[in-house]
This record gives sequence, C-alpha cells and structure tokens, in this order.
Amino acid sequence: MGLLAVGTPLDWPEAKKVASHVREWGIEQLLAIWRRAKGKERDALLWGDEIEYLVVSFDDEKRNVKLSLRQADILEALANDAELLKQGGGVPDLACGTKKSGRNAPTFHPEFGRFMLEATPGAPWGIGFKDLLDVERDMKWRRQIAKNHVFGHEFPITLTTFPLLGDKKSITPYFPPSGPKLRSQFVPDEIANPHIRFPTLAANIRARRGRKVELNVPVFHDDKTVWPFKDPTVDYDLHNWPEDDDVRKGAVKDNCIYMDAMAFGMGSCCLQITFQAKNIEEGRKMYDQLSPLGPILLALTAATPIYKGFLADTDVRWNQISGAVDDRTPEELGEAPLKNDRWRIPKSRYASNSTYISQDPRLRPEYLDPDLVVDEQLKERLIEGGMDDRLATHFAHLFIRDPIVVFAEDLKELDLDKTDHFENIQSTNWQHMRFKPPPPGNDIGWRVEIRPMEIQITDFENAAFSVFVVLITRAILSFDLNFYLPIPRTTENMETAHKRDAVINEKFYFRKNVLPKRTPRINGTASNPASGTNTPLPSRPSTPVGPVEDEYDLMTIDEIINGRPDGTFPGLVPLVESYLDGMNVDVETRCELARYLALIKGRASGRLWTAAKWIRHFVRGHDDYRMDSVVPDGIVYDLVKAVERITVHEGRDGYANEMLGSRCSLAE
Amino acid sequence: MKLILSTSNIMGAVSSFRPITNSKSNAEFVNSLRASLEANYSIATSENVNGNGHAARLTYPSWTQMTEAGLEIPALDFSESALQEERDQYDITLKLFYLPGASIEDRGKQTREAVNLVLKELHMPSIDLLIVSFPGVYFDEEEKCPDKISTRGPIEAEPEPIESQIKTWATLETLKDEGIVKRLGIAEFGHDRLANFLDRTRIPPSVDQVNLRDCCSVPRDLLKLAKGRNIELLVHNDCSNILPRGTLRELLGSGPSGAHVLSGSAKTGEKRKSLHGEPVTNGHADKPLDGEVQPLWVVKYTAVVRNRGVVENKGYFAMAEFTNDS
Repeated sequence: MGLLAVGTPLDWPEAKKVASHVREWGIEQLLAIWRRAKGKERDALLWGDEIEYLVVSFDDEKRNVKLSLRQADILEALANDAELLKQGGGVPDLACGTKKSGRNAPTFHPEFGRFMLEATPGAPWGIGFKDLLDVERDMKWRRQIAKNHVFGHEFPITLTTFPLLGDKKSITPYFPPSGPKLRSQFVPDEIANPHIRFPTLAANIRARRGRKVELNVPVFHDDKTVWPFKDPTVDYDLHNWPEDDDVRKGAVKDNCIYMDAMAFGMGSCCLQITFQAKNIEEGRKMYDQLSPLGPILLALTAATPIYKGFLADTDVRWNQISGAVDDRTPEELGEAPLKNDRWRIPKSRYASNSTYISQDPRLRPEYLDPDLVVDEQLKERLIEGGMDDRLATHFAHLFIRDPIVVFAEDLKELDLDKTDHFENIQSTNWQHMRFKPPPPGNDIGWRVEIRPMEIQITDFENAAFSVFVVLITRAILSFDLNFYLPIPRTTENMETAHKRDAVINEKFYFRKNVLPKRTPRINGTASNPASGTNTPLPSRPSTPVGPVEDEYDLMTIDEIINGRPDGTFPGLVPLVESYLDGMNVDVETRCELARYLALIKGRASGRLWTAAKWIRHFVRGHDDYRMDSVVPDGIVYDLVKAVERITVHEGRDGYANEMLGSRCSLAE
Repeated sequence: MKLILSTSNIMGAVSSFRPITNSKSNAEFVNSLRASLEANYSIATSENVNGNGHAARLTYPSWTQMTEAGLEIPALDFSESALQEERDQYDITLKLFYLPGASIEDRGKQTREAVNLVLKELHMPSIDLLIVSFPGVYFDEEEKCPDKISTRGPIEAEPEPIESQIKTWATLETLKDEGIVKRLGIAEFGHDRLANFLDRTRIPPSVDQVNLRDCCSVPRDLLKLAKGRNIELLVHNDCSNILPRGTLRELLGSGPSGAHVLSGSAKTGEKRKSLHGEPVTNGHADKPLDGEVQPLWVVKYTAVVRNRGVVENKGYFAMAEFTNDS
C-alpha cells in the first residue's frame, strides 16, 4: 500500500458526500483493469510473505517493558542505510531504495501502529525448492536488520499484540490518552502512524459509526477472578469528548475486557501470504479453495491470549480487528430501522469473506452466502462492461462500503490508468481472502492473498506456516482438490476458532470428500457393452446431486490436518506429502520441509502448543500471578523477555519446546 | 504375448494418496492400476446404483486391445493425454523399475519400450530425467530407522552383481547420447555401490534417489561422495519392491476383485489349471486367459510445470510376459 499520496483528506461527513463518486470511478477503473488483464496468461508462481513486528523497549533495572513509538525514526534509519540500499532494500515508501539484481535485501514498510514495522522479502519467492529454504533465512535477515536499526534496549518481537496496550502508561515516549482523532480513553492519538491517512481512517470510522468502536473481549474466568467481572480500568467520569458518553451508555459489557480504539485491532501483527496465479481462472479457483482453510489456519496459529493486561477467554486477534474498524451505523447493524442507510450489513469491513468467485462447475449455488449484500447498480455496470455475473457480484459486494479516506485532489479527474479509487474500496475491505487484480504498468499477474494467520514468535514458525500454505496451494492445483463448503459454515468456523484452545478442543465444518471424483479415462473400445432395459452406464461418478449438508462434517483440526485414522479423510499434511512424493526434492530440502510439516502436525494434534496456550501457561505459572485474570507489568516484562529469548534461540536451548518441538536438523 | 498395463493420469484420482498409516508405499501403483481396471470393466446398472447387487463386469476383449506389441490392458488411447504447454515448460521424470525374474539381457529393449510409451502418452519428444531402480538394491541408512524397514515390504530379490547393472547402464547412456533423455539417475545406491559404479561408467549418474522416510539421516560418506561428484541426492517414497509377487495375478485374475483377464485368482496360487477347459487363442475369446504371468518392468512418469510447481500428469505403465498353458 503506497502511503506517499499526500493531500487534503476529507473529514466525515464530507467524505460521505463523495462516496458514490469514488465508488463509480472505482468501478470504471476496475473495468479498465479487467479489460486490460483478463487475458493475462501463463504467469509463474511467485509469492511473498509479510511479517509484522512490534518494537518493544526494555528497562531491565525497573523490570518493565513498553511499546516503542519510534517507528518513524527506525524507518528513517532503515531508509538511509547505504548498505541496505545497495542491495535493493530499504523503505520504498520513503522513496530512497533502488532495485538491484541478485538477492534483494528486504524492504520495510510503515503500518497502522506507530510501534509496528512490516517487512517483506526484497523480491518475490518462486517454487524452486531451494527458494522455500531461503524463506526462513530471509525472515531472520529481516529481523536482524530491524534489530540493527533500533536502540540496544529495543527489540522487534513478533507477538500479535502488546499485552499492556491501553494501560495508559506502557508506551515510550509517553503521551496522554484522549486525543481528538481517536478519542480513546486508553490510548493517545500518537499510538497511530502520523501519516495523515491513518488518523483520518480512525476518525472517520468513528464518525461514520456515530460513536467509538467497541471491543468487548470475554475475560478468562480464573479461580479468583471477581465475578461478574467489570473492567476496572474503565473511566466513567471522563468528559473531554462527546464519545466519552459511550461508556455511560452501556458500551462496556460485563465479564469482558473493554477497548475503544482502532489501535487495539489494527495494531495487531499478522502473517499474510500473497500468491500470483497462472491466470485469472486459477486465481479465482485459489481464492475459493483457500477460503474454507482460513479458520483452520487461524486456530492453528492462535497467539493472542492477553488484552490490556488481562487474560482473555479467546485465543486469536481476528474479531478484535473486525470490531476495531467496524464503521457500520446503528441502522446498518440492525439496531435501528433503516432510514438513511441503504441496507443492513451482516459483517464488518474486516471479516471472513462472503463470496466465492470461481467459475468452477463444482461450485454449487447452495454454497453461496444467502445474506450477501450487493450494490445492484454497480453490478449492472460491471456486467455491462463485460464482467461475468459471479465476479461482478464479488466486487459489487465489496463496493457496498463507503470510502473512508478521500483526498479532495483525487476527485478532479478520472484517470483510467490509475487504480486509486478502486483500491480505496478494495483495500479497506479486509476480508480473510483478497483477490487482487494486476496493477497497471508492470508484469504482475492476478493474485490471491490469504490473511487469517496470526504472526508466530519465531521466524522458524512463520517460515513453516508460510511454506505449508504454499505447498497446500500446489497440492490443490496438482490434485484438483475440492474444499468447497457453504460460506455460512466458514463464517461459523471463524467464530469457533476464537475459543480458548479451539485447535485441540473444537470441531470445525469441513468437506468430507476433498478428492476429485475422477477415474481414469474410459476407452472408446469399451463403449456400448450391452443392451436391454437395464441401460448400463459406465461406473464414472456423476455430478454431485445429494444434499449439501451431506458433503461436510464436523472435524477436529487434528483430523483435518493429519487425516482420519480410518482413512475416511486424507488430511492436509498427508496431501502435501503426497504432492512432495511426486516432485524431485533433494534430501536437505525434504528434511527441512519435514521439520516444517512436523510443526504443523504437532500443533494440530495438540502435541505442540500454540503460542496462545504457551503464553497462558507462562502467566498462570508465574509466581506473581494471583489467579485473578490480571497480568501485571512484572509478568509482562518476564513474558516479553522470554519471547525475546525464544526468538533468538528458537528452542535450541531447550526452552519452549512445548511450542516448537525439539529442534535439530540435518545441518546440525 | 506381452501384457501392457496402464493407469493413465492418476493426478486427482483417489488412489494416488498414500495411506496415512504409511504402511505400503507401493500402494499408489497397485491401487491406481486397480482403479484403472475397475473403471474399465465395471458397468453400473440401476440396481447397483441403488446400492443392491454387484457391479456387472464387461468381458475383457471389450475394453482391452490386441496390437502387435501385445495386449493393452486397458486399451491405450493417446488422443487426450497430451501435456498442455510447450516442452520447455515441463520437468519430466521417469522412474523405471526393472523387476526380479525378468531377463537382464533384455533391459535395453525394455527401457526403450517404457520410454516410448511415456513419450507417446505425453506427446513429448524427450524427457529430463530417467531414474532406474534395480531389483533387490536397498539403500541402507546407518542410523536406526525402524519405520523405514517396516515399510520396505518383503525383500523378494537379492541384488544382482554390479556387472549386469553396468551393462544395463550402457543402454541408458545411448538414450542420453540420442538426446531422448537429458539426465540419468539410479535409485537406492549406498556409498560403496555408487563409488564402484562411478568408476566404471562412461556417463556417471546425475542423481541418486534414496528413501529417507521420517528419519532425516544420510550417511556422511554418501553425502560427501555425492557432493564431490556433483550427484544430486533426491528423496523418493516408492517401494523398491513395487509389484510384489502375485499382485498382477490377483488384479487380472478371476477372483471377486479381479479384472477377469486371466483365469483363477491369486488365492489359488501361482500355478493353476484352466477353469474352463477351453483353449484360448490370441486373447480374442471372451473367456479369461489361461497361463503364466511374469512381470517385466514398471515405469512411473511425472510431468511438472516447472515455474508453477504443479504436477500436470503422473501415471504408470507396466509390462508383463504372458505364456499360454499348454
């Protein structure tokens, strides 16, 4: 996402007034892309990962840890690193990096939180198996570079959230909460990236909603937790802003940790992977087939058990981000009758996706979301412009949203060679899958982004999950796998994935028969074998006609990943192994891949713990913990120190093997 | 008479997945061959669609084909099996298993038969890598790996002397000289056998394919040798004993799960008498054939789209010698 576009952002409701304008121009730009790129063919598999870091600052004497808000300084230092620039790395948004051939140095990007860094490989990965081994090295390189550009007492960690975010004190430098943009009683405006886009985003979401965002995470009910739990950190007597009334109007729910700003969600770190498809058809197929895997990947990577200094009763970040950018009005939410708004909208802009887009004949209409909201007028325009109904439905669904950040300067002239208006809507639809058209002006093809995974503490784990997802995509294409599941079941699975220890305790809807019903060809010579009243048919299975409900089952993640022992479900890892069996892979690579797959298998079976479970266990086993759900500063200091240790040693020192497994490999 | 067996493209067929018990690594070939046969001889009637009654069987002459080369089981049809893209988009690998009991003298001919069938199937002029597997050769890890031993399957052949392997290799070198094969490889060679082999071949193998299973341990001397001589050590998960004794008889025989190409079934033993007492000529009668079957070779082929990592076509051919009972 390019951030350099500067201009005059429109406040709400000025932005609202030009919403239709932006949408219409966005649709015209989309049609221009469509016409230009729909026939793009034979693109290679290229893929990239994104790692997001929190920068923390330790004070070892006082035994405390704070979030460092020095993002701008750190990026500046990275952007001016001559050595990094020579290798093609740096910070593209600060417009200093130049591309060089050879293995490019990683690039760093700003993110919403002023305590966050994002790093991507300097050039995309391919499918050469050597490339797969480079991923982990590159991730370590990135962290090392980041580490070299922060202070000695700072460290770039990959926890999804900072456990003390919103405690009104654990940030450095310190700023008081309750600024004009976020109007949060817990975090200052300075928590967000100062680029005008971000505060505007937060302010306009709040304005569109008519109140602050509202996050209520169930608190973990421990032995001595005061019950009912009433968040003791809420200030009911604040009167700086009209929105301070929210808490007096019932925004805070019992037995929940209450949060009130975009930073609590968009300040979370994720692991995202983007693939380039061969052509638009393959891209649409990958989008559909990966969609039902989203909740499974979310539960497998669960890493978010603490918010604002309290143990939560959930394990993942997803719904908090969803709530943190939920700009729906009371009418759209169904809390008030529709008067000014056009429709009720069942999901936040950040949510599990609601469309299938492939023209695959295996896609039955019953799989589609019955509650899908679509802007019929824009859909008609897309169809008129030559787009097929299914894809037009997808984009007309994304385009039910208002643009949130609009720059006045961009509304003067429609430029069909640009994609700014299209991207304005597209990139503020944060669904768990994203279908990305080719950008103008270069040779990049149709891409699919998979977005549900939580960031893992170590580069080893992040590489393992990235490579696993890549291998799954290859298995899907090679074996022509079918993961289709009705979209509402995926939506339910996403909720299930939030539950504490969902990965080992819960069951998820999953398709029973993922293997194609194809048999070897029947030869012409075998035709017309008999005659009579019993018209014989070849034993080739026909298109499915049974009830959709019979196609899926509730399965544990162990079954989904490792297969059912009775052989009725093959398991995703055995499918990947079968795929690898058909490839020429050298021993060193195969053994590294085996380590990655062993991590995934172990997480699924429960033999290895998720970070969420490990962190929860760490807190509850700490001497200072009083079994009351409260995670005090001292424990967080020890926890983040432990996380730093795990990041550095990755279990080779025997620490955290519950989470990582015992670490040894061919090379060691 | 030769029997030419084929699976056609097995990608996406249920049988191509290894069972999660990891118990039989030769299952892919046997299962996909079984599926290929069943798909050809079964006819669904309204009864068995409803779940009552057994599938009716077509008699084998209706779905096999007699040609000069032998009896194709099922009849071969290369009209729709071509790869989609240009030659240089693919990595095409063949692995040829010479079977125990087959004539070592005929290996040159066998190799050409196998390669030609695959080239015809894929509609391609050449392949990238041809790996050969000699019967009875097992790569032995120095470290303990009980998992591997247990999945190896019964050993039904002793390794042949290296002399005959080198003689076979010379016929492979010709294929490379002709440009039909770009690289050659062997499977399951340990350090000593490989070192010996390297000293005595004109074109050394580019690849040694070994089975590691879950124990990622390669003997150091083998690693060193491979590195020093620029030989790629690749991993496979095939059983060297790819077609256990009696399997073909069971698949083609007249038992409940057989294709009824041959009379009798595996359970009645290797030697059998005619069940029908009618003479069989050229396999064109409807009655199953009476006689002995000697498997000669199995070839596995894989075509991968290089820059996308997608397996587009994978399958097996096998050849057996059939001798009429007299």
